[in-house]
Amino acid sequence: MIRVDNLRKRFGTVTAVDGVSFTAEDGRVTGLLGPNGAGKTTTLRMLYALMRPDEGTIAIDGIDAVAEPQKAQKQLGVLPDVSGLYQRLTAREHIAYYGQLQGLSGQRLHDRIEQLLQLLDMKGIADRRTQGFSHGERTKVALARAVVHDPRNILLDEPTNGLDVMSTRAVRDIIRAFRADGRCVLFSSHVMQEVSALCDTIIVIARGRVVASGTPDELREQTGHQNLEDAFVALSGLEQGAAI
Amino acid sequence: MSPLAQTLVVFKKELTDAFRDKRAIYTIFFSAAFGPLIIGFTLNRVADRQRQLEEVKIPVVGIEHAPALVEWLRQQAGVEVIAGPSDPEAAVRDRNEDVVVIVPEDFQKKFRSSSPAQVKIVSDGSRQTARPKINRVRALVGRYSNEIGTMRLVSRGVSPAIATPIQLEDVEVSSAQQRAAMILSFIPMFIVLAAFAGGMQIATDSTAGERERGSLEPLLVNPAPRQAIAAGKWLAASFASMLSVMLTTGLVLAMLRYIPMQEFGIRFRMEPFQIAGMLVALLPMCLLASGIQTYLATFAKSFKEAQSYMGLLIMVPMLPGILSSVYPINSQPWMYPIPILGQHVLSADVLGGKPTPAWAFALAGVSALIVSIVLMQLTTRMLQREKIIFSR
Repeated sequence: MIRVDNLRKRFGTVTAVDGVSFTAEDGRVTGLLGPNGAGKTTTLRMLYALMRPDEGTIAIDGIDAVAEPQKAQKQLGVLPDVSGLYQRLTAREHIAYYGQLQGLSGQRLHDRIEQLLQLLDMKGIADRRTQGFSHGERTKVALARAVVHDPRNILLDEPTNGLDVMSTRAVRDIIRAFRADGRCVLFSSHVMQEVSALCDTIIVIARGRVVASGTPDELREQTGHQNLEDAFVALSGLEQGAAI
Repeated sequence: MSPLAQTLVVFKKELTDAFRDKRAIYTIFFSAAFGPLIIGFTLNRVADRQRQLEEVKIPVVGIEHAPALVEWLRQQAGVEVIAGPSDPEAAVRDRNEDVVVIVPEDFQKKFRSSSPAQVKIVSDGSRQTARPKINRVRALVGRYSNEIGTMRLVSRGVSPAIATPIQLEDVEVSSAQQRAAMILSFIPMFIVLAAFAGGMQIATDSTAGERERGSLEPLLVNPAPRQAIAAGKWLAASFASMLSVMLTTGLVLAMLRYIPMQEFGIRFRMEPFQIAGMLVALLPMCLLASGIQTYLATFAKSFKEAQSYMGLLIMVPMLPGILSSVYPINSQPWMYPIPILGQHVLSADVLGGKPTPAWAFALAGVSALIVSIVLMQLTTRMLQREKIIFSR
């Protein structure tokens, strides 16, 4: 479970995240929805403890991510915004590398890698170097290495960005599988369909603030729009933005 | 999981990654072989020139009087015996010849009776340019005389050593020797260069490269202390640097064994002890070189930017080398603890056969180690900065 309270982050004069609070429950998929530049990535970066918030608290399964970043990171599986691979290493070596950094070794690591290769349907590419992998294959590798330590909480920053239909489906299936295991999944997206297809809870972020949150139905109700996309546009104030 | 184990994980990964990069491997090999090859080539050229100088034509009057001597002369490397002019003194005076050897008629008779047989060398002592040739002829005849003398003593059961109370060894400061010594003075510089060239690839690829390809952020999400990550990368670069230094040192030593250094009048002997001492002095420098490179490359946003820093950085180790070829650096105790200069001076000492105390090696090693640990801490601190992690 991830609990965020009054998170703030400034870069110079720009306030990127301005008092964000929310809770992402276990066994649920929580979507951070917002237009580009709304503060989703910055929020996630603070959650996975690579950025220090100026203000506010973050609790990952009750662990203070600001005070004990490494302990919090152990509870997290993270697919960042940009997830570069090493082109001279194979898919399997990528997963093994992160697994070893997480403290896995020997048979346990080997079994876990096999399990992930199976789960993400990447047996065919497991022992190929990642140079020349398609975007979908690269995302799978990045995802597999991110969750090699079987974390309870999973953060995904725009995981389906730029993926083709089949890869998008595969990622969605994985997210559903994580939920079925009772994990807490938090992912960000600026794509409406993505969020509506997957999320149990949606948190709409705009200009660094949470402007609405709830189940898709609750959001429709709040805004009076039947169409979720209209609701999103109304909530994030994009109509004003479009005039600029 | 202990940070040390995590350091090892990063270390192994970086090496695996780097050693699959064929181009990087070639770079290491080439840069390691470059210095020794250049030194070998130029030394060989100097040796060739020296040999050419030694090729002499000796005009001998009365060849028929001393067939054994003439035969012996002809067998010497670079010596050709020709018939002398009819009037040797006039020929030398008129500068038709530099030197003429005259064997008198009674040579053979005196030689057989073991009394001193006369050989005349006609020369003009005022002619500077003829000196080397005159000396050469004089030395040749002298050596023949010695050899015969030795044989005579041996055949009479007397040790020739008795008749040699003093053994002269010429230490010539001739130009060939100077040239050879100057060429040898570049060896420390090439070794120091190898330290920088060897680790460069890993230092840049594992830091600036990691940033550029966007793999730093996911890497740092792993619950490993930044120090372990920085140390793993630094040690991987150091390892490559050490390989390169050992390769260069090995090639230099092999080459020096192959080139006959005594031709330059240089007595060059490398004891295993000295090789060990040299490595003790040089290997900490690999940690240092890689430490500087890792730090600078972490600062760089892209591989290219990092490489341009590396290009500038490589001037630093060349500095003592270039300076020492202009004015020879004599090792002073204060130089040992200064990183890079210390190693440079130490390897020059070792190659020059100068006795170097053990504390000098220790001092150079420890100071390089301290500086590199400081650099590693700085790299660690840099990896904690959000600007470094996220700006691409």
